[in-house]
Amino acid sequence: MRIDYEIERPIALKATFDVDGFTVLLGASGEGKTLLLRAVAGLVPAHGEPFDGLAAHRRAVGYLPQGHALFPHLRAWQNVAFALRGAQRRQQALEWLARVGLADLADRWPATLSGGQQQRVALARALARKPRLLLLDEPTSALDPATRDDVMAELIAEVHAAAIPALAVSHDPALAMVADRLVLMHARRIVQVGTPEAVYAQPASGAVARLLGRRNVRHGRITGAPGGPQRLLWPGANVALPVTTALADATSVDWSIASTAIEVYAADAAPPTAINGTFEVCQVGPRERHYGLRCGGERLWVTLPPGRQLPAAPMLHLPAASIHCWPAV
Amino acid sequence: MATMRHTERHCDPAGDVLMTTPLWRRHLLLLASALALALLATPFAGLLIATNWQHFHFAGGDGPAIAVSLGYSLLALVPIIVLGTPLAWWLARHHLRWQWAIDVLLLLALLTPPLAMGLLLALMYGPYGPVGSLLERAGVLLTNSPTAFVLAQFYAALPYFVIAARAAFEGVPRELEQMALTLGHSPWRSFLHVTLPVARLGLAAAVALAWVRAMGEFGVVLIVAYYPQGIPVKLWVNLQNLGLDAVYPLLWAFFLTALPLPLVLGLAVRRRRLA
Repeated sequence: MRIDYEIERPIALKATFDVDGFTVLLGASGEGKTLLLRAVAGLVPAHGEPFDGLAAHRRAVGYLPQGHALFPHLRAWQNVAFALRGAQRRQQALEWLARVGLADLADRWPATLSGGQQQRVALARALARKPRLLLLDEPTSALDPATRDDVMAELIAEVHAAAIPALAVSHDPALAMVADRLVLMHARRIVQVGTPEAVYAQPASGAVARLLGRRNVRHGRITGAPGGPQRLLWPGANVALPVTTALADATSVDWSIASTAIEVYAADAAPPTAINGTFEVCQVGPRERHYGLRCGGERLWVTLPPGRQLPAAPMLHLPAASIHCWPAV
Repeated sequence: MATMRHTERHCDPAGDVLMTTPLWRRHLLLLASALALALLATPFAGLLIATNWQHFHFAGGDGPAIAVSLGYSLLALVPIIVLGTPLAWWLARHHLRWQWAIDVLLLLALLTPPLAMGLLLALMYGPYGPVGSLLERAGVLLTNSPTAFVLAQFYAALPYFVIAARAAFEGVPRELEQMALTLGHSPWRSFLHVTLPVARLGLAAAVALAWVRAMGEFGVVLIVAYYPQGIPVKLWVNLQNLGLDAVYPLLWAFFLTALPLPLVLGLAVRRRRLA
């Protein structure tokens, strides 16, 4: 389904993209993602397709806001039955609850359900309305980290089973990874669209790389023409790094390097272009360790393989081939 | 040596705050509460003692006064609720540039001393007032008539109802109403099925408050509806004509008549809040 919306207030926003399966619109906070969802649901004044000009209650959308907005005065099944009419509504509501695995909790009040259970009730309620489009606002934000992946897996499986296009807006890179389709928003514009694989393999800009959760994304400037010796000036750390790019001299860039690509040396064994790093923090992963090292006024994250220790005065070498540069926007 | 700070575990779920309060402060709290309750109870203890239980009897006309108070107060609740509820909802949901003027108007209605409000009503709705003379031509008498009685109670209770109901509506998350819209309910249906039920406890409190104000109203009623005599005016008449002893039985009757509605509503509210 094609989304094509233009919003003027409270912020100006224009977005055009396709929703296909479980689509995630990834953007930083304050981009107007929630506003876009509310515009499509008809809750804020806007123009665009689908549903242009229809009042909110005539739009066939299933909207799952952050916090789920279950009706506190209704039991779980009554929440699901809210959109249903007729004598069979209780029976139908129970069937929807059974589909999301909550048949046993039909008589519970929303306040007594966990975040994940509330979300599933909200999903059942939205699906019971027979929507043409599902809208999910930050679906991972209210979930417990321990059960988050399972809850999202079930939600996505339900969305696929119901065969209704779903648009989830989020700033959570982990959610982006499980999408069928990824839409990236920066500076209130759609900046990249594609499968997660394609977008992760080639982020279109430093902003996109940051949205995808890449840690080492910094600003800099290229000196030297393509083909000749080029350097990347990194003012944040006050250093110049050898690079090879097709960008013109004096281009302002966002650059990035994978934390696993940074080579760590002891001071006596470091290559001449290596830079100083001061240990700040260590994140212990299941196998490897991630180190936050301060370089001048900024930080680089370095991942060391299992068994490797960080030297006392670490020197960091950033191989030219591993540095990606995007013209800054 | 460090000061010993006594803390006690408290099982009362509503008493979470008390759990970590030092013992002496809790005693102070209890003492202050007990004092407040004692002060509240003092006049009624007086009433208990002063009532002549052996010769408990009503004065002539007390029965009709009870009927007038009960009947017309119930009737007054109708326009108060019918007109006050939409206004309260509108005030809770819309913020206008002239909001302060509406707030001033509500405050004025609350602040005006009842006697003065009665005079102002007589000024407008009395036989020589602009509204009153018009209505009188249409056959509606707004002085010393049942309509005038209801009018007086309406003015006495409406601002209280609106302010309490507005707070109740403000407590309903707007998101819930919007959710009802996205689930295919019209704005009117979402008001009926979401806003009203979610706000029901606060609205019940607003109704109770309006009832208490309407039943007990003396000043406004005295000016515009001395007749038909409701209980508050009849208490005054009994005092003037028969003396104190004629006041107490009617006062007991007043309590019996006026108490059940706010008591039941209030209990329902408190029970839900503690649940």
